[in-house]
This record gives sequence, structure tokens and C-alpha cells, in this order.
Amino acid sequence: MRIILDEEACVGHGRCYAVAPDVYDADDQGHCVVRFAGEVPAEHADAARTGANNCPEAALTIED
Amino acid sequence: MSDPAAAVRPESREANPYLPEVAADPVPFYERLRTECPIANMEGMPSGTHIISRYDDVKFALRHPEIFSSDLVAVDIGQDRPLIPLQVDPPEHAKYRRIMDPTLGPKEIAYLEPTTRVLVNEIIDRFVARGECNFHDEFSVPLPCTVFLTLCGLPMDKLETFLEWKDNIIRPGGGFLEPEEANRIRHETGKELYAYFDGVIEDRMANPGDDLLSRFTQAEIDGRRMSKDEMLDISFLFILGGLDTVTSTLDCSIAYLAQHADRRRQLVEDPSLVPAAVEELLRLHTPVMQVLRVVAQEHEMHGVAMHPGDIVMVMLGSADTDPDEFGADAGIGDFGRDVNRHFAFGGGPHRCLGSHLARLELQIALEEWHRRIPEYAVADGATLDYSPGIREIGNLPLVFSPVGVA
Repeated sequence: MRIILDEEACVGHGRCYAVAPDVYDADDQGHCVVRFAGEVPAEHADAARTGANNCPEAALTIED
Repeated sequence: MSDPAAAVRPESREANPYLPEVAADPVPFYERLRTECPIANMEGMPSGTHIISRYDDVKFALRHPEIFSSDLVAVDIGQDRPLIPLQVDPPEHAKYRRIMDPTLGPKEIAYLEPTTRVLVNEIIDRFVARGECNFHDEFSVPLPCTVFLTLCGLPMDKLETFLEWKDNIIRPGGGFLEPEEANRIRHETGKELYAYFDGVIEDRMANPGDDLLSRFTQAEIDGRRMSKDEMLDISFLFILGGLDTVTSTLDCSIAYLAQHADRRRQLVEDPSLVPAAVEELLRLHTPVMQVLRVVAQEHEMHGVAMHPGDIVMVMLGSADTDPDEFGADAGIGDFGRDVNRHFAFGGGPHRCLGSHLARLELQIALEEWHRRIPEYAVADGATLDYSPGIREIGNLPLVFSPVGVA
């Protein structure tokens, strides 16, 4: 699993790092930073999906 | 009180969200708007004042500033120039946000947490032994203003003055004045506010500290320092955005929890639910009911033509209770909601700049309140009046067991 972040779409709702802090972090503006550049470890897969699902701007896509 | 849903008139495609019965109980109003009249015209206004209410339409409007512009020079609230960055469109907007967002980013403001916790407890100390309080006057109004003064390094004895300025601009005379008189007060207050901040900014330019205003005097935009006018415009917006919205969110949240014992007890038993509860209360109550945009290019929605210059009322509260997005229980509070993509802070490029600070204040307020006052109720016989537009409850008397008395 990989996470693709559309940086243009992210405006800093912060829902991803609120619900899945082990997968997503905030940059200094409050925008999303994905903690895993490549493959997401299996134990974080559910959290990764929950975080992506909570984005109001659809800025996060999960690729299986 | 009249039926809030009656404020939607599908036969004439009109609606009025500014009625007190709608502010008190907006969910039935939103529901009828979305199902029977997805693009309504504001009642009593010339055609071309559109109310957008469905989740997908609201999302589209927020995310397309090239169609739905924020260049609202038409909205006069006593400001000399457009408010930065609220009334500035992309690409200029992004330049301001790039320097402003980090000053209120979640990591940057984390240092305010212990201070805010102390402030919240000091505020509770003032009334906790009485066993009753007026939540609005004694808690939700002073808290955000006190935090704001701390953040800006301004003296606490300015509290009353700031509260008066804020009220004079947002709802002069309590919101019941003739438009001319209201505008006169707004402009007079605007002048006082600019004059005060002019002095403060001069001082911070000469003697910068580590407060928010000092940081703006040092920040660069396009390789230049911001002008004093730009900093004044930002300060003006901060007063408006930072004070009233947190007050109304606290009012709506505590009124709901006072009246929903099961939800309140969940928070008392498990304080780790507070962050999710804050998001759910923001969603369900959406205290800032709507944001305004102006149409910048020809557009059509649900067969209604929108022309450049038309005003659009983007009904955030309606989007946030739309069953198409939130399911059949959209109108009910659920702190365990798996997916909560609410727009209570707006969305798209203009999404609330102060949201991380607002969340910090709301979370600490709910944590400390329920730690110290776990059981409380709205005083018998009190009727709760919600103000339209920004839903504060001007009189919110609560009763609880006195704490800390022998």
C-alpha cells in the first residue's frame, strides 16, 4: 500500500493527523505530511485508510 | 417559536437563514433547503443572492475560488480595505497564507497549551463555588479574548475594550439597529481599532518580541516586509475571527452537552474522546452557519443561472448535516463517527487560519470543564436564544453542584 498526497488540494484541515497520527503528520503550516514515503507497513494500513477517508478535500489517495 | 423549516419557501424558491428560530434549530431548515430548494434566493433580496446547501455543492463552491470569489468589497463591516487574507483571492491569497499559517500552525501553537489550561482553570475558579454561572458571559466570552491577548502580547486590562470592539463590529447594538446606525458604529469602532493597532505595530516594529504581532513585523512576503496597512488589515480580521467564533462554538457545545446527559457522561468517563467530540460538535452545530462568496464568472447550478456580481451564501451548516455525506444519523451527535469530513472551518484555500488555535482552546475547555464540573444543566425556565449567522447563545445560565465549598 502507498499513500499519494495531492499537495495542491491539502489546505490543512488536519483531520488525517488527528485520526491517524502514526501515519500522518503536520508541517509548519498545518498541512499534511505522510510519514511513509514508500510502502506503508501492514500494521498501519487501517489507520492510513481512516486518515485518507477523513480528508474533506480528497487530497489523500490510497494505492493498493 | 415558529417552525424553522417554514423559513424555506420552495414555491417562490426563497429562504431566510437569518431568523431566530432557524439559528436555534437549523437542522430542519437545512434539510428542507437541500431536498426541496437546493439553490434558494435570499428572501427579501433581489434575485441573484443564492443560498447553496448540499454537501457536494458547498464543497464545489469552497474549492473553486475562480468561480466563487472572496473579493467581497461589497461587504462593509467598518474595514478600510479588504481583510487580509479573507477577502483576497488566489494567487495573492497564497502569499499571505504562506507566512501567516505557520504562525498559527498546530506545532507552533502547542506552546500555548499549558497557559490556556491555566487560563481556563482561573476562569472556572471565579464561579465554581457558586454552583451556577452564566456560561456565555463568564466563560465563553472571556476565554478566547484572554488567549488572544496572550498570543499577541497585549495587556489583560484591554479585555473589556476588545470585547466592546468585537461586539460593535459583529453585532452593533446587539444586532437590532437600523442598518445606517449599525454601519456608523462599525466605522467608528473600526477607526478606534486601527488607531490602537497602529500604535502597537509601531511599537513592535521598533521593539520586536516573540508575540504574533512582532512576528508579522519581521515576516517577508515576495522578498519584502509587510506594510503597516497589511498588518492592520490582518489584525482587524484576527479580532473578528478569533473571538466570536470560539465563543459561539463553546456556547453551542456546552448547551448541547448540558441537554444530552449520555454524551456528557461519555466525556467525563473517557476524556480521550474530547478531540473527536470537538469535531462532532463543530459538525453538528456548525456555529458559523455560512460564508459569503461573490460570483466571478457565469455559472449554473441545478438549473439556476449565476452571474458575475451575484452574492452566494455557502451554507456550511447544511453541508455538515447532509445525510448524503454523513448518513441517516447526520442530525445526531456521535463521538465515535468513523468519517467526519465537516466544513465547520470552511474548506478550499480560505479554510480557517485559526482552526488549530480554536481546536486547542475548545479541547482544553471541554477537558477542564468536565474534570471540574462533570454534572450540570441549563437553569430551569431559561430559554436559549441563538443569534443568527454566528450562533452564540447570549444568555446561557447553568446550574451544577457547588465545588470546593466545605
